[in-house]
Amino acid sequence: MVQHNFKSIQSVPTAKDFIDIVLSKTQRGTPTVVHNGWAIQRIRQFYMRKVKFTQSSWHDKLTQILDDFPKVDDVHPFYSDLMNVLYDKDHYKLALGQINMCRNLIDRICHDYVRLLKYGDSLYRCKQLKRAALGRMCTLMKRQGPSLQYLEQVRQHMSRLPSIDPNTRTLLVCGYPNVGKSSFMNKVTRADVEVQPYAFTTKSLYVGHTDYKYLRWQVIDTPGILDRPLEERNTIEMQSITALAHLRAAVLYIVDISEQCGFTIAQQSTLFHSIKPLFSNKPVLIVANKTDVVRLDALSASDRALVDEMAAEAGRISSGGHAMMGTSDETTLVTMSTLTEDGISAVKQVACDRLLSSRVEVKLKGKRVGDVVNRIHVAMPKARDGVSRPPVIPPGVAAARARRDAGERRRTEKDLQEEQGGAGVYNGDLRKLYDLKNPDWKYDIMPEIMDGKNILDFVDPDIDARLEALEREEEALAAAAADAAASMDLGPDLEPEERATLEAIRGKKKKLVADHRRKKSAGNNQAPIPRAVDPERSRTRQRMQAELGAMGLDAAAAAKSAARSQSRRGRSLVRKRDRSAAADAEMGEAEAPPKRIHSSKSRSMSRGRALSMAAPEANKGLRDATQRNKAIKMADKAQWYAGMQAKKGEGDRHIPDLMPKHLFSGKRPKGSTDRR
Amino acid sequence: MASRVAFENSNDVGVFAQLTNAYSIIALGAAENFYSVFEAELADHIPVIKTSVAGTRLVGRMTVGNRNGLLLPNTTTDQELMHIRNSLPDEVVVQRIDERLSALGNCISCNDYVALIHPDIDKETEEIVADVLGVEVFRQSIAGNVLVGSYCKFTNQGGIVAPQTSVEDLDELSSLLQVPLVAGTVNRGSDVIGAGLVANDWVSFCGLDTTTTELSVIESVFKLRESNPAKIVNEMRASLIDSMI
Repeated sequence: MVQHNFKSIQSVPTAKDFIDIVLSKTQRGTPTVVHNGWAIQRIRQFYMRKVKFTQSSWHDKLTQILDDFPKVDDVHPFYSDLMNVLYDKDHYKLALGQINMCRNLIDRICHDYVRLLKYGDSLYRCKQLKRAALGRMCTLMKRQGPSLQYLEQVRQHMSRLPSIDPNTRTLLVCGYPNVGKSSFMNKVTRADVEVQPYAFTTKSLYVGHTDYKYLRWQVIDTPGILDRPLEERNTIEMQSITALAHLRAAVLYIVDISEQCGFTIAQQSTLFHSIKPLFSNKPVLIVANKTDVVRLDALSASDRALVDEMAAEAGRISSGGHAMMGTSDETTLVTMSTLTEDGISAVKQVACDRLLSSRVEVKLKGKRVGDVVNRIHVAMPKARDGVSRPPVIPPGVAAARARRDAGERRRTEKDLQEEQGGAGVYNGDLRKLYDLKNPDWKYDIMPEIMDGKNILDFVDPDIDARLEALEREEEALAAAAADAAASMDLGPDLEPEERATLEAIRGKKKKLVADHRRKKSAGNNQAPIPRAVDPERSRTRQRMQAELGAMGLDAAAAAKSAARSQSRRGRSLVRKRDRSAAADAEMGEAEAPPKRIHSSKSRSMSRGRALSMAAPEANKGLRDATQRNKAIKMADKAQWYAGMQAKKGEGDRHIPDLMPKHLFSGKRPKGSTDRR
Repeated sequence: MASRVAFENSNDVGVFAQLTNAYSIIALGAAENFYSVFEAELADHIPVIKTSVAGTRLVGRMTVGNRNGLLLPNTTTDQELMHIRNSLPDEVVVQRIDERLSALGNCISCNDYVALIHPDIDKETEEIVADVLGVEVFRQSIAGNVLVGSYCKFTNQGGIVAPQTSVEDLDELSSLLQVPLVAGTVNRGSDVIGAGLVANDWVSFCGLDTTTTELSVIESVFKLRESNPAKIVNEMRASLIDSMI
């Protein structure tokens, strides 16, 4: 069965609005410009598109309405009857049928006019055809005005219907007006139903929920019913009848034994007997209300007999027409007072228990009981050995629970959090609960990494034993290595000198191989480094001296020069003034001008070579040092004023045109592009 | 006593908490709300530890433990291990194990005496489980699910298994574990019991969506608050049938 959500039906516009909506949608959704000069095929297409578009938007909207509204025959019989009572099934079906017809007609109009448009021979004719098509569609819809209006009213009413689930556990409260149905409802559920001392205060069905036996129960309050033939009943009463007829619920027939409602017990009994066909196969309870005014025992004998008769009848129809089976007087006749709340929970209990047992009885006969049989089965263990497996519960648990029930509250982390700025601000202390031998150790800082080693990799309870084993192993290894070295032969009877040479050769070979392997392993993505850079620092002065010396050459002068060059290539970017000055002096470059500290250029000249600034030419067309100094001084002077005024100079960044014309003119708005 | 609780709007309490008879491990959350629910209930009796495991908040699914020990996956960081070790009493053995199936909570389920493990777990891990946790170990699946930790939860008092388990399987498992068992759900019909529920011998916590019926089944089978498993077949039978069919 299709479950409908009556609350999610989209609103139905009036005919006029509907036409406006669709036509303006067509206007916005299709091209609007057409020219006489176009090929006729294109003009026809232009108008055909408009007609088809309009048709499809009508079609979609009407389909939406037809799909949204529940089909009376598809919904649960309860809702179907309720809709019949409230909205008149014929009227409802007719309205939907007309909408459906209208949809078909619109489709046909579109079909016809598109065909006619194929023969349109001018822009004007095509336009007239389009107008005619749209006009006919609109006229059709205009005629649906009343249907649409009716459907909108139905929609609004349906969205306010209580969400009654026809299949769940339900208690249905019914009886004459003013017997206290709504008062009972207000007592058992949290629904706030209006209670007034006049008849028909409750004009429609109301739903509330209550809990019993771990389950949720739906309580339905119905409008009062009068005792008259079905045909004469009004809409309000008919809602009660519908609910009684279709919901498989426990029926609480409330009887006002004080007769304060204006109906005698005899009248209430007659009503019960006239509507009892609706109660068959449902648990029915006769609830004697207003016991605060008259007690059940204090009733006159005739009234008491009527009540007892109702109870007996209730028991009989509950059990399907047979004589009383499993239902006793206590479970069919219960008393309560909604004023003093006396007996209300008993009524609820009895009603729920009876309904539950009847529902379970029905369900156990069904097929699906096999699916849940494991869920109501508790597997008890068969002992497989003599081991006892007792639960482990700390001794203080019961006491602590008693303390908490008595209202004692522990100060929790959440309290601390609220005190100290709330979530996101509070940073809890993770270490305060550490369980250590000495509480002072809690906040000791334990480094994570030390000397590039993860400390916890080295934490080991039996580290001493392992260390000893390792040491022993190492000793054994060392001894073995020594033995091997001693026994290693360096070739047959060599002189000590030859032996040394051999070792040197082997050493060098080894080094070459190792170097090669290292380079190879580094892969090919090493930047090629020029030899002159000498990253390995193998070209030392000492080596040069030694190697040249070995060749029998005097390397003193070369070493001297090397010393200088080395000093220039030191790690520091700043040249070591004293030594280089000394070296310069030594090299006899006496014509170098004395340093000028003041010049703007002097700073850059004092920098190390790292900036790779080319050295100035010896004398840039200037005669001598004095002239050069003078030139520098003049350059400084020229800059002096601008510098003092902090004015713009030629070294400053300059944007010639802050708002170039080509970027700020044209059709496109600002911000849509950067350059064009 | 069973309580409903949610971790940052998630009902999967068993993912973010681990509860045993000797300690409880809670995930580090943005706020202390979840932690404080456990703290209020347990901190008088056992340490309640806030930590992450392997950098995640899934402490309940990554770890497995009981009164005797705690097993952590090999992805647990040294700092977390140290924090947990420092917070737990010395009687509880903490062990990090090299198991390929590193979500130990999903693959192993145990109480203080018996453990069920995933059929594919290493032989070494099985031995470690037996040694560290001091339990008998059985390779089992529950209703065809190999993730025994996810699909069941049992304490020394009783246990719940996934609702697909047949009556014969229930009886067999119950005799294996030597506790009463019932097939049930948590969190309004979820069958991943291990994720929706944590329990020990005197208290249990389940997700906020758990219905009253589910909650009372839990209380009965874990024998919390003077309840006992017989209640499920006696008093609650009608309610259970009516709510499930």
